[in-house]
Amino acid sequence: MELSSIKYVIDALAYSLYAFLVGGLLLGLHRKIVARIQGRPGPPVIQYILHTIKFYFKEITFPITAGNPLYLFIALMSIMVWMSALYLGVVFNTSLLILMGLYVLQKIVEHGCGLSSGSPYGKLGGVRSVFSAAAEIPLFTVIGTIYLLTKSLIIEDIIRYQEIHGPIIFQLPFAAFAFFVLLLSKAPNSPFAIVKDKSIVSGYMTEHFGLLESLIMIADGIAWFVLLWIFIAVFIGPLLVSDPLLTLVGMVVLTFLISLLCALTPLLTPNHSVMIQIIISVLALVDLLRRIIVG
Amino acid sequence: MSLNITSIAGKFYGYIPFGDIVLYVTEFSAISFIVAIFFTLVVYFTKPEKQLESQIGGFDTLNYVSLEELKIRRLMAILCGICTAFAMLTGDLFNYALFLALIGITNIGIVAAVKKEWVLNAAYYYGLIAMISTLPLFGGAALILAKTGTLSILELAKKPYDLLFQKILYAAGVVGETGVAPFYAAKAEMFRAPGAPYILMIHLSSLLIVIRTAEILLTI
Repeated sequence: MELSSIKYVIDALAYSLYAFLVGGLLLGLHRKIVARIQGRPGPPVIQYILHTIKFYFKEITFPITAGNPLYLFIALMSIMVWMSALYLGVVFNTSLLILMGLYVLQKIVEHGCGLSSGSPYGKLGGVRSVFSAAAEIPLFTVIGTIYLLTKSLIIEDIIRYQEIHGPIIFQLPFAAFAFFVLLLSKAPNSPFAIVKDKSIVSGYMTEHFGLLESLIMIADGIAWFVLLWIFIAVFIGPLLVSDPLLTLVGMVVLTFLISLLCALTPLLTPNHSVMIQIIISVLALVDLLRRIIVG
Repeated sequence: MSLNITSIAGKFYGYIPFGDIVLYVTEFSAISFIVAIFFTLVVYFTKPEKQLESQIGGFDTLNYVSLEELKIRRLMAILCGICTAFAMLTGDLFNYALFLALIGITNIGIVAAVKKEWVLNAAYYYGLIAMISTLPLFGGAALILAKTGTLSILELAKKPYDLLFQKILYAAGVVGETGVAPFYAAKAEMFRAPGAPYILMIHLSSLLIVIRTAEILLTI
């Protein structure tokens, strides 16, 4: 009994490591593609993972302005959020609503990182994170639209629905687009990445350095893996998600598309970013209401 | 158990009859409840940040949160956390609306002790929106009661009712009460107030409430 429990723990940790390595490599690939499009050689694809390892062994200090233990806890929470999303979503195929709950906790991490440091740059990043909460509204309408179609929010049921009726992306193209914009807003250097804008140094992560930055980077790697997996599972379904190799191919293609958009579009100002997200929210809401009324 | 609940919020673990208030526990509500309680504990144990303010032509200054201010803000943040946690479990639309109203009051309370004009202005505007929003919020709940004869989410989930207008009213009330888009302009200004963990509770409560509302509106 004890041995099998240990095996479960080792399996879970191994899967987290796998998710981080895949997510980290995809984020490295993202940086490489952006650099190549802009005419630069760019860093090697493994740079994200190298950075994470390097920061992990750096000395840790606490700014005098920091509010502890929140300053320390928020970095751990970042990992907790995305590891929970990994197990609940990817492994146990639970409700999409729970995953969205965990996704919005990422906002708390961003806001908490900025606030707990006491730095004005971190605070600006945190406040921008609150503003960019407009990106989450399409998420709720997407959930509503998917529920109207599949009559369930459990990922397992959604995948089963697609086995019979084909990929949801063809039935709910606007919902897929709204979710894709959410993925885009999470990508580094995206037009919506106002929380890490270089004009505010590193945004909410300005005062989280060394080990704490490394922990947040591990969480970001896992987050990228989880978000791409959710998109593939919910909108493309068993066609890709049934085979791990095909899932990886899908993730690479999605990362490539997102990198292309990131390289070719400038960073929007906070106002423009929020306005565009609100327009998408309103359109997604109209789509949802139309489906409710038409039936 | 009604299929609606299990297909939206995950496994159903049971309900807790507490007088006429029925709390129920699902996979989603259990996780949200634990998160809210856990954050409340973090807020209790965290010392407030010392916000650094840049000065033109002089040295930067540190903003300290005084002990008197800390006490009232911490109390309000803890109350907000407890309300949020039980709003995740409640199975009654009216109680949920009451929890929401209380969260709105505590949100204003968290920043009301900050002696800065722009923070108080933002809190005032948010307070106005929150007060106005109680009308559609409680009105929506009342109309649901009038049409179906019950406010219990468990009961409402059993039969398909045509509640589109009532749901829209209820959702409008929640949107105003939590101060999410398009009303968050005032709330975002409140977030700039010094005192890290307490302000964070305003954000956490709004986000958890919005997700719980999505769950309720899909379930009933």
